[in-house]
Amino acid sequence: MSDVTETMPGPAGPQGATGGWNAVVGYLGGIRDLVVLEMKQRLRSRGWYIMVGIWFFVVAMVTWLTWLAWNASMEARRSTIPPSALAPQDGAGSMIFEVVLAFVLLFALLVAPALSANAINGDRAGGTLAILQITLLTPGQILWGKFCAGWLAALAFLATSAPFLVFGMFQGGLTPGHVVVSLLMLAVELAVVCGIGVGISALAGRPLFSIVVTYLVVAALVVGSLISFALGAQLAQGTVLANTPVGRPLSYVPVQPDQQGQPTEAVQPGYTCEGPLVEHSAVRTDRVAWMLALNPYVVVADAIPYPDRSGSAFYSVGMIEGISQGARSALAGPDHTFTCANGVQQPQYLKQSTPLWPLGLGLQVLLTGLLMWLGWRSLRTPASRLANGTRIA
Amino acid sequence: MSIAESSIVPGSGALGVSAEGVARRFGTVHAVEHIDFHAPAGKVTALIGPNGAGKTTLLLMLASLLRPDSGTIRINGLDPLRDSAAARLQIGWMPDTLGVWESLTAREILVQMARFYRLPKAGIVHRVSGLLELVRLDGLADQPARVLSRGQQQRLSLARALIHDPSVLLLDEPASGLDPGSRVELRTLLRRLAGEGKAVVVSSHVLSELDEIADGAVFVSQGRTVKQQTLEEAALQGRRYAITALDNAALTAKLSELGLEYRVEAGRRPSVTLLLTHDDGAAALLGELVRSGVGVVSFAPAAGALEETYMNLDTERP
Repeated sequence: MSDVTETMPGPAGPQGATGGWNAVVGYLGGIRDLVVLEMKQRLRSRGWYIMVGIWFFVVAMVTWLTWLAWNASMEARRSTIPPSALAPQDGAGSMIFEVVLAFVLLFALLVAPALSANAINGDRAGGTLAILQITLLTPGQILWGKFCAGWLAALAFLATSAPFLVFGMFQGGLTPGHVVVSLLMLAVELAVVCGIGVGISALAGRPLFSIVVTYLVVAALVVGSLISFALGAQLAQGTVLANTPVGRPLSYVPVQPDQQGQPTEAVQPGYTCEGPLVEHSAVRTDRVAWMLALNPYVVVADAIPYPDRSGSAFYSVGMIEGISQGARSALAGPDHTFTCANGVQQPQYLKQSTPLWPLGLGLQVLLTGLLMWLGWRSLRTPASRLANGTRIA
Repeated sequence: MSIAESSIVPGSGALGVSAEGVARRFGTVHAVEHIDFHAPAGKVTALIGPNGAGKTTLLLMLASLLRPDSGTIRINGLDPLRDSAAARLQIGWMPDTLGVWESLTAREILVQMARFYRLPKAGIVHRVSGLLELVRLDGLADQPARVLSRGQQQRLSLARALIHDPSVLLLDEPASGLDPGSRVELRTLLRRLAGEGKAVVVSSHVLSELDEIADGAVFVSQGRTVKQQTLEEAALQGRRYAITALDNAALTAKLSELGLEYRVEAGRRPSVTLLLTHDDGAAALLGELVRSGVGVVSFAPAAGALEETYMNLDTERP
C-alpha cells in the first residue's frame, strides 16, 4: 500500500499535445467523462425510472383515448350520414398523431426543466461542483457536460413516446417523414429547454429557485408568446393599400372530391378586385409575428411538412396544419392576407414559401445561448463574484 | 518518486504554497483581510484559527477556486490566476464539505476523478486500487458512496485529493469525523506525504492533533495572520502544566513556598496550573514536589504547544 505514490506516472499535461485536433478531442473527452458521471448517477436513481414509467403510461392512455374517440366519432357519422355522402377522411392516424405530438411536447416542456434546472446549483449545494472545478475540466466542459446529460435524459422520455407516434403513422394518413421530422423537432425543443435550465441553474443560487424560473421561462415561451403577440398586434396598427372586392356571380357547385379525397379542380376566390387602391387600416401582424414564432408549438407545428393545398377548396385542416397556417399568415401580414391588398386576390391558403420556424428556433437558440453564456461566466474559476448566498464549496 | 518527476528540486525557495497579503471580500464581509502564509515543501503546516477566521476562504483561494481581491498566490512558483491548469495539477484539495456523488461507488468516483485530471488510462485502475487500499476503503470500494459513514467518506475525499499525486495538499478539516484509529493513520499518512516532499497544509480545530503532525503553524484570526511559528518556537515559549495532588492544600503551600505563580483551576478534580518555560524546569519541580511528600497524582502539560499559542492569542484579542 505504500507504493501508491511511487508508481504513479506523471499526469498527461493538459497542453501536452498542442495540436488543434488533440485539443478538440481532449475537450470533447472531458465532456464525455462528465456525461458518463452524470448518466451513472441518473440511471441509478429509481425516481428516474418511475418518471419514465409514468410518462409511458400517460402517453399510452392519451393514444388509446384518442383512438377510441376517433372511432366513436366515425360511428356517429356513419349512423347519421349515408355512407355514399360520407367524405373520405384522413385516417385515424393524423388525429392520433397530432394529439400525441401535442401531448408529448407539453410533457417534454414540463419534464425538461426538472431534468436540467438543478444541474449546476444542485451540485453546488451538494458540494460536488467545486470537486469538478478543481480538476482540469474547464467551465465550458462542465456546462456542456451538464447540458448533454440533461438532454440525454430528456431524450429517453422522447424515445418512450416514439412508439405512439409510429402507431399514429400506421393508422394512416402519415409518412415516416412526419414521424422523423416531429421527433427531430421535439428533440431540438428539449435541447432548448435543457439549455435554458442549465444556464439558469448556473446563475441562480438555489435549485428550487432555478427550477421555478425555468418553468416560468417555458411558460413565457408557450403562453407568454401568445399573449404578447395578441397585445403586440393591438399596438401594431398600420395601413395597407387595397381596393374593393366585387362579388362575382359564381354559381356555387359543391366540390366533389375524387377517389383520393383531392378536389378535382382548383377553385378561384369568388370575387374580383376592382377600383382605386385606398389605404385601409389593418393590423400589421408581420411586425409582431416573431413573438408568435418563439412558441415551441408553433416551431414544431410549422416544421412538420404538409401538402400544399393552395387552390384547393376542400380539405380538412388538422391542428398542426392550422397552427402553421395561422402563424404563417401572421408573418405574411396584411400585405398578403388582406382582401385585395395591392389590388391582388389573396389566396386563403398560404404557400409554404415563408416558414416561420427557422425564425422561432433561431430566437429560442439565441435566448438559450445567452443564458448558457451567462452560466459559463459564473462557472469560471478562480471565481471573482459568487451568486448571492452561495459558497463555492 | 513523483516529486522528482515533476522536476522540482526540494529546498528551492519557490517551492510549496505561499500567499502574500491576500484579501477577499464577500459583499460587505471581509472574510480575509490580510493574510501572509507560507507552507514549505516537505513540511506539514497547520492553519489554525477560530471559526470564521477565514481559513476556508484562504484555502479556496490557494486551491485556485476563488480569486483574491488583492495579494498574490504562488503554488510551487505558479500563479493559479494565470496558469490555472498547471497549478491544478499540483494541487490536491480536500474540502470541508464532503461532496460525494452518492450513487457512484468509491472506485468509480476515483476513476472519474482520474479521468478529469486526464491521467493516462493505462495506470488508472492500478492507481485507484492503490489509493483505496491506502485509505482502507478497499473492502467498500464497490459500495455506493452513500452507504459510507462520514469518516469513510472523509477518507474517500482524501483519496480523491491524492488521485493525481499533487505536490501540494490543501486539507480543510481532514480529521473531522474520523475515529481515533483513522486519526492516527491520517497522521502517519500526512507525515509520510510530507516526507516525500509535498507541501501539506492542514486546517483544524483539534490542536492536540496538530502538535503531533505539524512542523509549523500559521494562526489566523478575523481574516488576518496573527502569528506564524514553527513547532520548536511554540515549545520554547513555555507551557502550562496541570498538577493534581491527594492533598491540594499541601500542593499549593509547597508551590507558594517555592515562590511559583499558580492558578487554581475550577474543574471536576481540584487542580492547579502553572506556566513552566522548559521541560527541565518541569522535571525539577516534579522531583521537588515528590521529595517534599506532596502526593502528586498527575503532572502533565495542560495543553499542547499550539493550543498554548492559540489560547494566548485568544486572550490577546481585543
